[in-house]
Amino acid sequence: MTITNRAFTRIVLAAMALGVLLLVVAGIAAVFAAQNNRLRAAWVVHTFEVERQLDHLTIAAEQLETARRGFLLWHRPNALTNAHARMRDIPHTIDVIQYLTQDNALQQVRMPALRADAQALINSAQTTIDREQSANPALRAMADFSTDASYFSMQSVRARIKAMYAEEERLFRRRTGAQDNASFQLYAVLGVVGLLIIIIMGAAFWVILRYTADLNRAQDALKDLNTGLEGAVAVRTAELSRANEEIQRFAYIVSHDLRSPLVNVMGFTAELETTIEPLATLIDRVDAEAPALMTSEARDAKTDLPEAIGFIRTSTAKMDRLINSILRLSREGRRTLLPAKIDLGEMTGAIRDSFAHRIAETGTAIDVGGPFPPLVSDRLALEQILSNLVENAVKYLKPGVPGRVAVTARRDGGRVVIDVVDNGRGIAPGDHERIFELFRRSGVQDQPGEGLGLAHVRALAYRLGGVITCISSLGEGATFRLSLPQTLEVEAREGAVR
Amino acid sequence: MSEHSVNIIMVEDDEGHARLIEKNIRRAGIANAIRHFVDGTSALDHLFHDPAGPAQNGPALILLDLNLPDMSGIDILAKIKADAKLKRTPVVVLTTTDDKVEIQRCYDLGANVYITKPVNYESFAKAIQQLGLFLSVIQVPEVGDGA
Repeated sequence: MTITNRAFTRIVLAAMALGVLLLVVAGIAAVFAAQNNRLRAAWVVHTFEVERQLDHLTIAAEQLETARRGFLLWHRPNALTNAHARMRDIPHTIDVIQYLTQDNALQQVRMPALRADAQALINSAQTTIDREQSANPALRAMADFSTDASYFSMQSVRARIKAMYAEEERLFRRRTGAQDNASFQLYAVLGVVGLLIIIIMGAAFWVILRYTADLNRAQDALKDLNTGLEGAVAVRTAELSRANEEIQRFAYIVSHDLRSPLVNVMGFTAELETTIEPLATLIDRVDAEAPALMTSEARDAKTDLPEAIGFIRTSTAKMDRLINSILRLSREGRRTLLPAKIDLGEMTGAIRDSFAHRIAETGTAIDVGGPFPPLVSDRLALEQILSNLVENAVKYLKPGVPGRVAVTARRDGGRVVIDVVDNGRGIAPGDHERIFELFRRSGVQDQPGEGLGLAHVRALAYRLGGVITCISSLGEGATFRLSLPQTLEVEAREGAVR
Repeated sequence: MSEHSVNIIMVEDDEGHARLIEKNIRRAGIANAIRHFVDGTSALDHLFHDPAGPAQNGPALILLDLNLPDMSGIDILAKIKADAKLKRTPVVVLTTTDDKVEIQRCYDLGANVYITKPVNYESFAKAIQQLGLFLSVIQVPEVGDGA
């Protein structure tokens, strides 16, 4: 599986967003749960407080009873003080309990009865103490606590406290249970959120790993491709060079081997020509001296022979020129290139000057549009290319329009692009490739030429590691664009072809 | 060269060229016998083994084309110049090749004259006639002299 750039960005962003969202949820849940927990803990503490007060009340009641008995039995003054303190203490504690249990209707309902029983207990204690302290013996005799109602009041108070205690216990259990529940819920939420975060982060991590691996793989593939491409280019260049060398060799051999028979044709044509005159003289003489021997064919031969020889001569002359052109081309191809720093402005200026006569005749203007980028190439080859291009521009004018030719150059990466632009008659798009072929020409054949110039230009451009293209349409002028490496690298085996 | 005993041995695979060369040499007034061979094997056989050939009989001058069907003229040149008897025999290399390296090689091997056949016939005829005039004034050593 490969992950596209967009999908990767989307997935990772979504995972991040979801992760952040879950963290927020977890935070809120934690805060909420903590709040809840604190509240419940407060309620538990509250229950403990109520229980403590109930304990306190129980103890106070028991102490009151004990103090009362102690006083009745042994008349200890501190027992009396103690009893009085408890008597004050008990209602106060009941007040506290009533206040604390405000939230609980059930406990509140129990409160008046408890209060009444406690009061009864206090009252009976007070009564017995009062009687014991009075001087009246009858009353003292009545101080016997075994007969008063305090026993029942005490029983009742104990029972009520127990009931309330039980209620508080129940509340305590419920509240601690609820607290456990809340904690459990909190942990559950946190756990689920944590798990989700782990899953999402894991997935995001997996996607990132996957994507990184993909990227690395793509990078490696690209690197391989690059090195492969370089290798392929090197191989291709070597192949092209070999093919070029092969063609040069072929051209050389062909032109040489064609020359030999041509020398014969031309030679024997010349030999034949020398026989025309004696033959013509003979025919004239026969015509004059013995017309009977004369035939019309023989008479015709006198004019046919020179005509035939004339055609043979023009044809062989043309063939000779073509073969010489091929030979020149192949020789040019085998010339050792000498890379040198070239001032394009100077070179173009010199070329313009070499056409001074022709441009003055036709009123053509040649602009040399600097500045020119520096260039290292073979001077002679480049001069021939530019000279050919400028010559063509000056040659193929649009009738009635004064010619304008501009030569400009610019840098394009590691290459220099030279444009030769004219406003001449232009070249039909169908001919853009053809014109670079050997012996091919385009348009009206009103100018002398063999169709060699551009073939030569292209061969030279290739040799210089360049490319030449034509941008034009009929009647719209033409631009010849030459793209050359800024620095010509000459291979060691240049010129190895013989 | 005015002595009629000097034979001209022409090694030339192209019959037409041979004929044109002969014609133009004759036009220059050279009347010496011209023997023509179209391949290297028969030429070598004549040079070294033919009783009428230069090795056995009389001085000779060799017109040598380099492009032969069965061998390179350079091999013939090397054999002539390596032979004790024939090494002083003048060799005129007459060929279409104008390659610098080829020319140097021929002179290194002992070629006496190297002439490139001109491409067009007029120049060709003129060159051969001039060669004929040149041949008419040069001295050809006896074969095996001082060997």
